[in-house]
Amino acid sequence: MARVMTAPASSPSSPSSSWRRRPWVRWATPLLIVAVLAVLPLVGTEFQNETLARIGVFAVAVLGLNVVMGYTGQVSLGQIFFLGFGAYVTAYGVSQDWNIVLVFVLACLLPAAAGLLVALAAARLGGLAIAMVTIALPIVGVPLAKRLNEYTGGSQGLSARFAESPEGSGLYDDQWTLYLVIAIGGVVFLLTHFLVRGKYGRAFAIVKGNENVAASMGISPYRYKVLAFTIASAIGGVSGFLYMLVIQYTSPETMSFGHSIELLAAMVIGGAASIVGSLLGGAFYVLVPQLTNQVDASLTALLQGAILLVVLFVLPGGLASLPRALTRGRRRLRAGRGPAAPPTTPSSTPGSGTAAEQPETERQGHA
Amino acid sequence: MAAELTLQDVSLQFGGIKVLQDVSFAVEPGQIFGLVGPNGAGKTSLFNCISGHYKPTAGTVRIDGTEVQGARPATLAKHGLARTFQHPALQLHETVLENVLLGAHTRLPGGALEWAVRLPRTWRAEKALRAEALELLERNDLGWAAHLPADELSHGLHKGVELCRALLMKPRLLLLDEPAAGLPHAEVETLIATVRRLRTDDDITVVIVEHHMGLIAALTDRVVVLDHGAKLMEGTAAEAQSDPRVIEAYIGKDAADDAA
Ligand SMILES: Nc1ncnc2c1ncn2[C@@H]1O[C@H](COP(=O)(O)OP(=O)(O)O)[C@@H](O)[C@H]1O
Ligand SMILES: [Mg+2]
Repeated sequence: MARVMTAPASSPSSPSSSWRRRPWVRWATPLLIVAVLAVLPLVGTEFQNETLARIGVFAVAVLGLNVVMGYTGQVSLGQIFFLGFGAYVTAYGVSQDWNIVLVFVLACLLPAAAGLLVALAAARLGGLAIAMVTIALPIVGVPLAKRLNEYTGGSQGLSARFAESPEGSGLYDDQWTLYLVIAIGGVVFLLTHFLVRGKYGRAFAIVKGNENVAASMGISPYRYKVLAFTIASAIGGVSGFLYMLVIQYTSPETMSFGHSIELLAAMVIGGAASIVGSLLGGAFYVLVPQLTNQVDASLTALLQGAILLVVLFVLPGGLASLPRALTRGRRRLRAGRGPAAPPTTPSSTPGSGTAAEQPETERQGHA
Repeated sequence: MAAELTLQDVSLQFGGIKVLQDVSFAVEPGQIFGLVGPNGAGKTSLFNCISGHYKPTAGTVRIDGTEVQGARPATLAKHGLARTFQHPALQLHETVLENVLLGAHTRLPGGALEWAVRLPRTWRAEKALRAEALELLERNDLGWAAHLPADELSHGLHKGVELCRALLMKPRLLLLDEPAAGLPHAEVETLIATVRRLRTDDDITVVIVEHHMGLIAALTDRVVVLDHGAKLMEGTAAEAQSDPRVIEAYIGKDAADDAA
């Protein structure tokens, strides 16, 4: 009986999903993305390139947060600490004239090690306790950065420039910087994209969904929480390296608790447990203040809060879930048309609601 | 390679409530063993004690002679124990196939870094286990549902998906908690056939909690009857069905379930 019932519901979904499975779409899509990214830095103005580079930085930070929170379901309020840590390691390494590859590796590994230590202790505590421990990170991080002024420059902070465009490349600095962000960020996104599929993606998802089931599948919830937290910290460190590359200055303010919450809001708005959502989250994090600052800087927090509320109510999966929400709405609309009128009305509401949401975000993009 | 399961004087308490009292029995390798009793008798709790989700207050649980009470469920799963849950909790937005593939976890090689760089051996293993999962679904009459999201299936079919997920682990000891509850008659026949095939094709020990006495009679070599957390009797399914104490336990508390 269930077979009969599910058959009609599934058939409308197959045409829309099957074109994605066609072989030419599967190899043409990555090629197209690479081509666009390769040309992008060459066509924009300096300001546009700098904006894109900053979006890249925070997209990576949001991606890290997504690994531990979106995919594994562990609330982390301290992601900004790892960005700050990575930025300080980078600034210090550059000031000491260390090899830049070594600096990059350290900016990745030291935050990862710190994350591992925190997670080993925090993941023992269930649920909300992890969130509480992670709050402590930026709260401890800011005064620590002020105190260790031998390494951090104290309240003044540190600046470092290490991304001048190589001679003979014919590129402006902003173009070269954007290329570096795209290359490094692109690799991190690709690796994460692979990781959250298959064995580890399923394991993270079941730790988020049901720890008892996870354990009965041989997946230790504790170990996978620690793993996800450590990976998130490492990615946070990479975003800190990129932060120094693009912004060239860091201070204790970089890792303030408020920024951590903004990062979290950006993840929710972009889309939890979504690769594309991380990119959208980075764009949100950078573009909203940029736009509101032109009008009135005090509007930023208000607007961020308002967008967060709208997304939570209208599109809980974040902006990245918009296409799926639209498809579902349309499918439900079509399915509801047959038997009775009532189902049509409520099922059309999310569709029209999300459609009304879309121009709003687009308008901001064009403004 | 089928596992031997021995319980000795297993007791479990929550606060002052005695959920299990001195339960002892032995399941020989390759046996299909029934665990019956009215609702609230402690069957699921006993499963939780075996699978490591609960730690017994007293007594020992041995798998192949090794004491495992207090071991973590993930550790036991790696050593060949698989179980299903009375109330299956599938990943509802994922496809049925992805849900079943979760059972492949311990059989898939490679660490996080290897999966992140998509080392050939990782996706080759994934592909092979995907084929195996599809075959399992096919054999359990669920092949048609492989690519549907789990939330489009009925509750009864979720049990079938969960069984496939457990089987993909290639366990040596399988605990099934009310696998036939909510299944239409035809699907119960399929389930019986599946478990029978396990006995002939796979080297595996099975313990089944079930109210469906037809299924218990058709499948099990031996049963233990629990009532109020204590062992009431042990014997064949036929002996249990005709035992006056068992009938009383059921009629006294839960005649409806017995009839079902
Ligand atoms: N985690 C728990 N905390 C408190 N009581 C529990 C817990 N798990 C089970 N019980 C109690 O143990 C008894 C047996 O439950 P259960 O094992 O589910 O029985 P059955 O599976 O035979 O229906 C019930 O009275 C139940 O309330
Ligand atoms: Mg039960």
